[in-house]
Amino acid sequence: MPRWGMVIDVKRCIACWGCTIACKEEHFLPPRVFFNRVLIGETGKYPTSSKLIYPVLCNHCADAACVEACPTGATYIREDGIVVVDDDKCVGCRACLVACPYQQRTYYDQEVKDREYFPGQGKTEYELLGEKLNPMKVGTVIKCDFCSERVDAGLKKGLIPGKDEEATPACVNACPVGARVFGDLSDPDSEISRLIMEKKGKQLRPEFGTEPSVYYID
Amino acid sequence: MTYKTDEIWEDKWVNTTCGVCYCGCAARVRVVNGVPVKVEGIAESTMGGTEGGLCGKGIAGLMYYHDPNRIKKPLRRTNPEKGFGVDPKWKEIEWDEALEEIATRMKKIMEDNPNKILFTNQTMRASDGPHNHLYFYAKAFGIPNNGNFIIGGGSLHCGNAAHMLGGLIHGAWSIAPDWRYTNYVLKWGSSKGTGSGHSAMINARLRADGVRRGIKEIVFDPMGNFAGGKATQWVPLLPGTDTAVGLAIANYILNTRGEIDELYLRAKTNFVYLIREDGTFIRDKETDKPFVFDERAKKIKVFDDPSIAFEDFSLEGDYEYKGEKCRPCFMALKEHLKQFTPEWASKISTVPVGTILEIAKGWVDNAQIGSTITIEGQTFPYRPVSSVTFRGAQGHSNGIHQVAAIDLISQLVGAEDVPGGTMGWPSIRRKYPGGQYERMPKVGKDGVIVPSVFYSHDPWPVHPPSYPCTNSGCVEFWSHSTLSHIPYVKEKNYIQEKFGVEKVQPEMIFGIAVNFLISQSDWDVALENFKDCFVVLSDIWVNETDQAIGDIILPDTSYLEKDTWSSEIDSFFFNGSPSYEDWYVHLQKPVAKPIGESRDFMDVYLDVANRVGVLDKYNELLNDYYSITDENLKIKPGEVLDWKEVGERVLTWVYGDDKEKIQEQGFATWHKPIEDVYWRWNMATRCPVYMEFLIHDRRAAEKIMKDTGFELEMEMDQYAPLPNWFWPTSHKELDDEYDLLAFSYRDVLHTNNSTFQNPMVDEVSQMSPYTFTITLNKDLADKKGFKDGDIIWMENKYGTKEKGIVKTMEAQHPKVLGICGQGGLWADKRPIAKGKGSNFCKLLPSYLRHYDPITGNIETSVAVKIYKG
Repeated sequence: MPRWGMVIDVKRCIACWGCTIACKEEHFLPPRVFFNRVLIGETGKYPTSSKLIYPVLCNHCADAACVEACPTGATYIREDGIVVVDDDKCVGCRACLVACPYQQRTYYDQEVKDREYFPGQGKTEYELLGEKLNPMKVGTVIKCDFCSERVDAGLKKGLIPGKDEEATPACVNACPVGARVFGDLSDPDSEISRLIMEKKGKQLRPEFGTEPSVYYID
Repeated sequence: MTYKTDEIWEDKWVNTTCGVCYCGCAARVRVVNGVPVKVEGIAESTMGGTEGGLCGKGIAGLMYYHDPNRIKKPLRRTNPEKGFGVDPKWKEIEWDEALEEIATRMKKIMEDNPNKILFTNQTMRASDGPHNHLYFYAKAFGIPNNGNFIIGGGSLHCGNAAHMLGGLIHGAWSIAPDWRYTNYVLKWGSSKGTGSGHSAMINARLRADGVRRGIKEIVFDPMGNFAGGKATQWVPLLPGTDTAVGLAIANYILNTRGEIDELYLRAKTNFVYLIREDGTFIRDKETDKPFVFDERAKKIKVFDDPSIAFEDFSLEGDYEYKGEKCRPCFMALKEHLKQFTPEWASKISTVPVGTILEIAKGWVDNAQIGSTITIEGQTFPYRPVSSVTFRGAQGHSNGIHQVAAIDLISQLVGAEDVPGGTMGWPSIRRKYPGGQYERMPKVGKDGVIVPSVFYSHDPWPVHPPSYPCTNSGCVEFWSHSTLSHIPYVKEKNYIQEKFGVEKVQPEMIFGIAVNFLISQSDWDVALENFKDCFVVLSDIWVNETDQAIGDIILPDTSYLEKDTWSSEIDSFFFNGSPSYEDWYVHLQKPVAKPIGESRDFMDVYLDVANRVGVLDKYNELLNDYYSITDENLKIKPGEVLDWKEVGERVLTWVYGDDKEKIQEQGFATWHKPIEDVYWRWNMATRCPVYMEFLIHDRRAAEKIMKDTGFELEMEMDQYAPLPNWFWPTSHKELDDEYDLLAFSYRDVLHTNNSTFQNPMVDEVSQMSPYTFTITLNKDLADKKGFKDGDIIWMENKYGTKEKGIVKTMEAQHPKVLGICGQGGLWADKRPIAKGKGSNFCKLLPSYLRHYDPITGNIETSVAVKIYKG
């Protein structure tokens, strides 16, 4: 059984926000809801300061704080390592929102659902279609699921996630500089495993002890 | 994701090209039930990012279709008063009424003088349709050259100096490092490879691969953000002082180290041409060709005498021709450069002496002068060092000297259009296999390259200033401006009167996707200069210019609704295949039906031309432009075709038997042979790095100024053959009160101001710390008592002010303010854009002295004071 993970090459990343916006379109996310974000900052003092760019998303932790916090078992880790929410079981208590140290979860309530891209001008055809194509349940928590529907459908067709576009998360496909690599962490010969070993991939805040499946190389 | 399949009757992908910035990357759009819902790149094409990648604003382009604020019917102003804050009192009218009025007015003006019609486009949506057509569309109306274009991009957002030198040196519109083979890159005020510039995502992909390979990238820039923030080394400097550092590096290469690519300089530059004491070439009386000295034969010969071997062209020595002393102009360069010490450059630019020397040393050490590389069985010089610039460094009143100094560094080590060096592109277009339409530069006067395509003013051959001028741009006088700046200049009327243009005051403006009133310079000057014209603009929204001075606004389709079958031909300058990338062709295909009654501006062009009675002329120009020689395919006199019908003819010509295949797939790629990559190496041309023509131009210009009593300040010393140091006007205006230099930069999220109306781009812009703010160095902010989130005013010496929100940065020079260009918007019909960011452009004073006297570039930094709002 694979364990899906991602490597983000911050040396390649130019902070174009392609991942963020592609993810929004893939999942028809309402305004101001993001499963992918880009954190921008800097370190050091002038004139030797450097810019920091960290594209972030759900880390799909092996020891996930959100799973531990969920009282109903709605949030769980699939066998392939992807952390998902079963919206039939989610009661909207939001314990996971508090527990996630990476702030990667959003509570989807009526206010979020009612948001319009053009405020006061009604929902666009895109937004209305999105409600049909990716219906989300009001009163539940939503998050990145590594585009599990793409991964699952792709595997059924015999495609390889991380290699075949159709079976690969939208943010990986969108990246114009090849800064994202998706693949199987349990396979030492996968590109992602090699990159982590060769480039000394780091997890974000490993001290939280959650064992993220997203690694960063620079 | 759960699909309700019973409600979904269509779910398909359509290949097209992006239309959000001028690059026009490969894009495919997911269409569900006729509605576009997702945009991404095309993995199978090389025109774009890595394997189907596309930048954020490109992906967000979807919202161009969904914006409820799109114009759906032609609009007419009913309030005769124009200006900022005036309600135009729009009234919806029928297309026929609008087009009839436009045609009637045009016909009347043309009876008098067609030069009274100004045509305009900008880079707001420059890959959303074939925007370049305007240049020859105008010719159908009897307007001979580029003098009647007003272009917002013409200076602040484009590159008169960069394009002039790109044309002269590379026969190309643009330059970029040869990412695949380079090891050491100097970027000067440019974000090539980090999100901006032409073919932006291709360059971003190639750069990312280069960075992973371990290239060193050194960025000279006032801020360490898009380019500087990603660099191996960011070198802060004051805006407009790149020349000083460049000249110091050139002096180090030539005079300190003395390590130059002599063979390249002898074979590929005009540094071997002999000059008199006054700096002008000695020419053969019969042929008018410049002379050179053959070291082997010990004889003076014309430069292209086939008996001279490249290594025998003399670079140094004192000679005599018919009693007159002469020497190769390379000697003048050598002496000239001696004055530019690192200590001198450091005082001007604030770059430490040690940093300049270290970078100069790295440049020479990495240049591998004398080495060669064999690729695909062909051997070329190998010079893995590249020095590139674009909008930032060249956008100054000393613009031509900025780009010439930056180019000189590459010239001295022979790193031009060879593996690893600075590459010009696009220069050539190979015809599609089995098709037609090929473009190849030629060798012109003095051995200088003549570009194959240059949409506006050809950089070569040069024309000395002359008068009287025949159009409002006065391009006869400013003969090197790619696009004229004069329509924006405060003293426009004085200039036009002196140069004999008072009788062609513009009466009408016809433009596509422009917002020139607020995106160029001083808004009040632009308003004053254009408000009396009858203004017809075609766009997808009513923007600030439309609201302030528009008379008739025509609803254009967006790129998602257009059939721009010509995009790969017409976007040549913006997305041509760079470097060692496959050749490609791409079409922009409609993915959805037009919104409301919107019409593709190309159909409007054809309709207006027909109503005015110039359609046959335009059709003839189309035949000529696409070089159609097949009589069956040519558009014939009397034929009235729409844009799609024109496409059926042209595509048959351009793609031959593969026409339908390409129309269906939307694109095709094929191998680019290595001789097409480094094509210039095999062409006998010489770079005019010694710009001798400027000596003659100065004489001609000064005579005209004397004859006409022209008294406006122009820095005539800039008309000099070798790059030299001139203080940008912004620096001259610094004093104790106006103590900071404000400058603008391109944010990867935005295309001028058009993307400000995109709600997806807007929401991520709000998460970005810098996009909607004014950035200040942290220590400077502390000293001035400002902190993050403070509202401040920036005010220039002429009383123009703009406010914005402070964001402090370490990675910013402590003497500058950074602003992402074109915010501060207020058009009522663009509610997402309204009130976002700050407008930098309005702060730029627009007196003639603020422009590069040679190329017409506006000074894009400005002395300001800041205070709490």
